[in-house]
Amino acid sequence: MDSSPLNSAELQHFLDQEKKKAMLNEMVAKLTNVCWDKCITGTPGSKFSSGESSCLSNCAQRYMDMSLIIMKSFQSMH
Amino acid sequence: MDASPLSSAELQQFLEQEKEKAMLNEMVAKLTNVCWDKCITGTPGSKFSSGESTCLSNCAQRYMDMSIIIMKRFQSMH
Repeated sequence: MDSSPLNSAELQHFLDQEKKKAMLNEMVAKLTNVCWDKCITGTPGSKFSSGESSCLSNCAQRYMDMSLIIMKSFQSMH
Repeated sequence: MDASPLSSAELQQFLEQEKEKAMLNEMVAKLTNVCWDKCITGTPGSKFSSGESTCLSNCAQRYMDMSIIIMKRFQSMH
């Protein structure tokens, strides 16, 4: 019988990489959505105002911080 | 016939672990979303205010408490 083209370790590695890529894409989409709602409160202009720019960079950072805080409190529960 | 790379018991265990990881990630994402909406009411700053920090830790805990209460209520209905 043919051995499969990817052995178990290669397949595992491939799956891990694909999982990471998918999670990254999901996080980018989520952050874009969340920070758009929080930071673009008025009519969108022809470029970001300085307030909007700092809001956006803070927003992404805070959301990720929060995600980590929650993940850590979960890990401490098990 | 070739033996499959993962035995049935190993595959089962692998699937269980992956399911658990997925559920954990989903819960972390859900809590992050819920607590972001509840606790970050103004413009995100360069760090969490003390009020926001307190809100976040309370929020995650209360949401989980509620989840357990509801689960128990369901179980007592059967």
